[in-house]
Amino acid sequence: MKNYYRRSYALALTFALFLTYYSPTFSQNQPQKTISGIITDGDGPLGGVNVLVKNSARGSISDLEGRYSVTAAANDTLVFTYVGYKLQEVAVGSNNIMNVVMEVDAQALDAVVINAGYYKVSDREKTGSIARITAAQIENQPVSNPLAAMQGRMAGVNIVQNTGVPGGGFSVRIRGRNSIRADGSEPLYIVDGVPYPSQSLGDSRVSTVLGYVPQSPLNGINPNDIESIEVLKDADATAIYGSRGANGVVLITTKKGKGGKTTFEIGSSTGVGKIKHRMELLNTQQYLSMRREAFANDGITEYPSFDYDINGTWDQNRYTDWQDELLGGTAYYNNAHASVQGGNEQTRFLVKGSYGEQSTVLPGDYKYKKSSILLNLNHSTADDKFSIQISGNYVVDKNNLPATNLVREALTLPPNAPALYNENGELNWEDNTFDNPLAALNAKYKSNANYLRANTVLSYTPFKGFGLKANLGYFATSLEETRTAPHTIYKPSFGLDSSYSILTINNGDLSSWIIEPQATYTLGLGKGVLDILVGTTLQNDNADQLFQSARDFPSNTVIYNAAAAAIHTIESDTEEMYRYRALFGRINFNWDKKYIVNLTARRDGSSRFGAENRFANFGAVGAAYIFSEEPFMAKVFPFINFGKLRASYGTTGNDQIGNYGYLNTYTTNGLSYQGNQTLSPVQLYNPDFGWETNRKLEAAIELGILNDRIMLSTSYYRNRSSSQLVGIPLPGTTGFTSIQSNLDATVQNTGLEFELNTVNLKTDSFTWNTSINLTIPKNKLLSFPQLENSTYANQYVVGQPLDIQLLYQSTGVDPQTGVYTFLDVDGDGIISNPNDRKAIRDVGPKFYGGLSNSITYKMFQLDFLFQLVKQEARNYLSDTPFPGIMRNQPTAILDQWQNPGDDASIQLFSAGYNNGAYLAYINSYNATGAIGDASFVRLKNIALSYNLPSQIATNVDCRIFLTGQNLFTITKYLGPDPETLSIGNLPPLSVLTMGVEFKI
Amino acid sequence: MKNSYIIKRQEKIIFFLPILLFLFSCDGLEVDTPKHLLTGETVFTDSKTVEAAIISLYANLRDNVLLTGSVRGMSNLMGYYADELEYVSPYGLGDENFYKNNLSANDGTVLEIWNGAYNQIYAANAIVEGVQNAEYFTEEERDLYTGEALFVRSLVHFYLLNLFGDIPYITTTNYVVNKSVSRSPANEVYDHIITDLLQARDLLPLTDSTGEHVRPTKYVASALLARAYLYTKQWTLAQQFATEVIENNGWEPNVENVFIKSSPSTLWQFSPNREGDPTHEGEIFVIPYAPPNERVLSTQIIQAFEEGDLRKENWVGEISDGTQSWYFPYKYKIGIGGNNPQEYSIVFRMAEQYLIRAEATTMLGDMETAKADLNKIRSRADLGNTTAVSQGEMLEAILHERMTELFSEHGHRFFDLKRTGNLDSALSFKPGWESNDRLLPIPEREILLNPNLQPQNEGY
Repeated sequence: MKNYYRRSYALALTFALFLTYYSPTFSQNQPQKTISGIITDGDGPLGGVNVLVKNSARGSISDLEGRYSVTAAANDTLVFTYVGYKLQEVAVGSNNIMNVVMEVDAQALDAVVINAGYYKVSDREKTGSIARITAAQIENQPVSNPLAAMQGRMAGVNIVQNTGVPGGGFSVRIRGRNSIRADGSEPLYIVDGVPYPSQSLGDSRVSTVLGYVPQSPLNGINPNDIESIEVLKDADATAIYGSRGANGVVLITTKKGKGGKTTFEIGSSTGVGKIKHRMELLNTQQYLSMRREAFANDGITEYPSFDYDINGTWDQNRYTDWQDELLGGTAYYNNAHASVQGGNEQTRFLVKGSYGEQSTVLPGDYKYKKSSILLNLNHSTADDKFSIQISGNYVVDKNNLPATNLVREALTLPPNAPALYNENGELNWEDNTFDNPLAALNAKYKSNANYLRANTVLSYTPFKGFGLKANLGYFATSLEETRTAPHTIYKPSFGLDSSYSILTINNGDLSSWIIEPQATYTLGLGKGVLDILVGTTLQNDNADQLFQSARDFPSNTVIYNAAAAAIHTIESDTEEMYRYRALFGRINFNWDKKYIVNLTARRDGSSRFGAENRFANFGAVGAAYIFSEEPFMAKVFPFINFGKLRASYGTTGNDQIGNYGYLNTYTTNGLSYQGNQTLSPVQLYNPDFGWETNRKLEAAIELGILNDRIMLSTSYYRNRSSSQLVGIPLPGTTGFTSIQSNLDATVQNTGLEFELNTVNLKTDSFTWNTSINLTIPKNKLLSFPQLENSTYANQYVVGQPLDIQLLYQSTGVDPQTGVYTFLDVDGDGIISNPNDRKAIRDVGPKFYGGLSNSITYKMFQLDFLFQLVKQEARNYLSDTPFPGIMRNQPTAILDQWQNPGDDASIQLFSAGYNNGAYLAYINSYNATGAIGDASFVRLKNIALSYNLPSQIATNVDCRIFLTGQNLFTITKYLGPDPETLSIGNLPPLSVLTMGVEFKI
Repeated sequence: MKNSYIIKRQEKIIFFLPILLFLFSCDGLEVDTPKHLLTGETVFTDSKTVEAAIISLYANLRDNVLLTGSVRGMSNLMGYYADELEYVSPYGLGDENFYKNNLSANDGTVLEIWNGAYNQIYAANAIVEGVQNAEYFTEEERDLYTGEALFVRSLVHFYLLNLFGDIPYITTTNYVVNKSVSRSPANEVYDHIITDLLQARDLLPLTDSTGEHVRPTKYVASALLARAYLYTKQWTLAQQFATEVIENNGWEPNVENVFIKSSPSTLWQFSPNREGDPTHEGEIFVIPYAPPNERVLSTQIIQAFEEGDLRKENWVGEISDGTQSWYFPYKYKIGIGGNNPQEYSIVFRMAEQYLIRAEATTMLGDMETAKADLNKIRSRADLGNTTAVSQGEMLEAILHERMTELFSEHGHRFFDLKRTGNLDSALSFKPGWESNDRLLPIPEREILLNPNLQPQNEGY
């Protein structure tokens, strides 16, 4: 069926005419003969290819089976063109049968065939909103998580990296945050037709080093194995995913064998990573003067015995740049891959293996390793009626890290704190006055995850226009992660031994199968074509999680052997079952390549709801009008070669609320009494909650100007998410703090998305393309009944975005007392929450986008991408330790109040004995003064490659490349990094790698 | 694509295949209750699972809520809040706001205390409601379960009342009712507490069948009743119930043995999570090395001991770095990670009952009984008889004795100062202390979610 969508007769004809116009000579001298053949794209027959006899007006178009025939002479040359594919010229010579394999042209974005999940559609004829990146862009980036490869490249897709520690998580928001819950806005991931869990099996209690978030579940996909990633955004594209489509759908397609000559490819790269952005912190002199000033302000002249930094215990001339000492290391990157692919017209295969490893910037020897094997086999019968596609992917993901990332220590250790090591090379405890931060590194985090994904697609075409297909998928993953806390993380003076050592283990297993039988039918009706698709989904997921700890080991050498421990605790042993059934369909009607209507629908049933609320219907209508097909367009706007208006409206749902929420349940909480396990109630229960619904509206215009030299797409969207599934907050007097229920609140996301692709220059040896994407999102809480009576009263305001902060209005530092002051909104003389926390600051992105350029000169290619985010956020002042206590501070605090009458931005220093200052400081965390500009422009990616000329390497394609990630950032943000916006997490690293690739 | 087709019948049938498959597969949406969950209905059909639900109340009190010896319990937090503990961390961690009497209505720990306590009350009420179904339980079983649940319900309310002032008294699991409850005046809350305790006292057994004092008995209910009557100045009743407890329970004459698990003067203690686990009190109080970096016993407590007080010798630990010494509560000897076959964390013990009766009889004018009771405590500590004569002197002596006897136990010191009106005078030396600090703030979240809980306590 897919070939059908690939056709673009009109455009192909334009090409043909264009060529004809350029070359008005005709070949008439040679005897004519009939040439015929089959045109394929290496993946199957290609219909609609324009075949033209060069320098003549004669030509033909290939049919559905890719067959063509044309009359030409032996000295003629046939020109094969098809939008989205490279032009091919083949001399006729003595041939009568000429079979041609068309090569995809990545530059021709306009006619790219897009994976819409259950069907494929050409970019030209799509009625929905779908963003896309391909292997070419992914491979340019030295990243180990596919989400990292998507950053800055797609309009409407906002991806934030949580930490620079390898294996860490990302936050993904497609067209904004739909759920009032913090965790209900994850998109649906589908890899080669098999749903991929967005929930991690990891446990944040174990993966503390990742910033107390679980590891990213997408670690199970090797970016290098990906052919394309499509993101479905609007109702037209997502409604066919029904209850799981509300937050967008990410479709990941892995690489497939292209057939033809057997080719081997090997590649390898190596590189380094560092933290580029450093905070400016006080030096020893500044720090000690802060401390002295603090004590003086507090009226304390004799320094307490435990203030070692200042009471003479520690050397007051010593200075250590703790950021350099603890986070200044270099991470090393090594990657290698090898693949072989080939086949013939009926059978194609690909086998690919990859290995990658990276270390960290933390002191010590830590590694993150990922190995993957990708297998793909396609076969079709000679008559093309039956085909089978098998793909398998196995990924082993191992992570070895310390259990803590030392960021906070690096930022707050007093600069005159003692040396890390004593003369004997042992950890220095400075007579028990120093909590040596390196001791924390004795605690380790290890994770070992396996991901197996297998799927088979069986297709059968009993007769023309009719297709049967079954997608069978299986996904299994298992994870073991451990965190150790040996007694050596404590000061030796505790006198502890390994009987105090603890091992924490999290084991998770998840398996999922899916069966999706589908039937398709294509019917020509005059100038129109009707496509019908009906399918059903059966999906079962089972997950098990075992969380346990073991302590009291005979020695730390056996700390990983839980059996060696004297004491074992099983904290939790849980099981999750999810059953999902659906019926879905699509009716697409395409009239004369001009008017297209696309109807999609899905009926979903999910085990996450009580018996009365299990089923719900979702659907959408999308339509497109290709107005450039109108004859007048060519006359009035000859420079516009393509123009399309499209719109869609429909509903999708969200069931991301966890399993068993509707049951009244008791569980063991790991506690014992009198030697027996205890049972306690889990939650207040509500058997009646149902689906969250999301109504999506979109309108867009797409233009191709000057023969696609300029392509512009602008869309407006409006998504409204209602029946919000939240734990409706309850007062603690109910026994619990919330109850799962549908809250009659509506969240609206609107936005404008722009995508502009231009070919700035194009000559034989030089091309320069630019792509720009820009998203201006707007999030708004439309309604929230009884908001003022809920805890969300402190968090949300109707008419404002979800991502707001309600804050005290900072009114500077009192010139007399030197203490922060705030606006007393209710005038009661006390600064108190919530009555005075009324200032609103939106900390969501104002706009974000990317600017990428691709420049090719002869054998050189340079690509670079700038990521751009305009936003405000909480900065370091919302999390800094109390200025004046035994913690270092950023230099930004040096504008402090000192004497009555001072006009300062920072309040007086205090060592903690000034109650008023302390309370004001606590309030200042949540005041407008702690919000600052966090906009940034980041050179997200740069890639320079050089293809060795073939005279140097005959029969071998060789490419040398240099790639960089996050090489520099321009920002005014006060804090470690404007992307993570976190004080306790490692910033994303700046990475530079170089490598080489051979293709034989 | 000029050739048009008419959909033939067999094609139609094929189209309906997915639809049929969907219809047949919809039964597959039923999931079994997973292995880690039991439904509430199942729990209350079997005495074994009800038993598990009941001991979960004690396990939570032991590890998480109010009476826990851990950092989240009254022994630590109210020890800081009054004058029992000093905060010596240079890092501005955790409990500093309690020590500095600097709490705000959005303090996370206060919210944790509140939510944890009401969660226990919910669990207790679920048991009271769940076991009423006569089908599955004998009358004896039902009485026992109801008695234990009512005791826990009143115990938790008792502490909430003394921390927060007027509070709602929750007697149902129905969240529709509980989400908009109002605060009842303290005297009404006491009425509820006492009613529940009197009922629990009738239902609970005379002795704990395990012999380990790890389950509340009739006398534990009486002990709490005595305390409740003392706090409400109902001296006769306080005397009556304290006497009932004293006359029916043993006495440990040796200071050294008071806090071991076999002590006969223990009325109720927590069974440990695992046999041999140290008590949480031991874990947080025992200081293994100098200098200490969290909490030490206050100068006020140290100075309160009279010369030769065996309790100072036995219940106070000392650690030195060579130049300076620090003190810590050492009633429980085994610290973090240690093996502890000897100690359970004690909740109710006889000494308090003697002190209750001493105070009640003082107020009733029976000075001889009062002195005898007070001297019983003093003599165990190897101190001479009290020299107090007048009622005022006696009350002062009793308050002082409570300080040295019950220090670092579940906030006794704070509650004693509060009910005797001595908070301001005793705590004025603390720079952060204000009169309004006698009550903790109602968590801001609660007032937001349930405006009926207004007004906020004064000063917050």
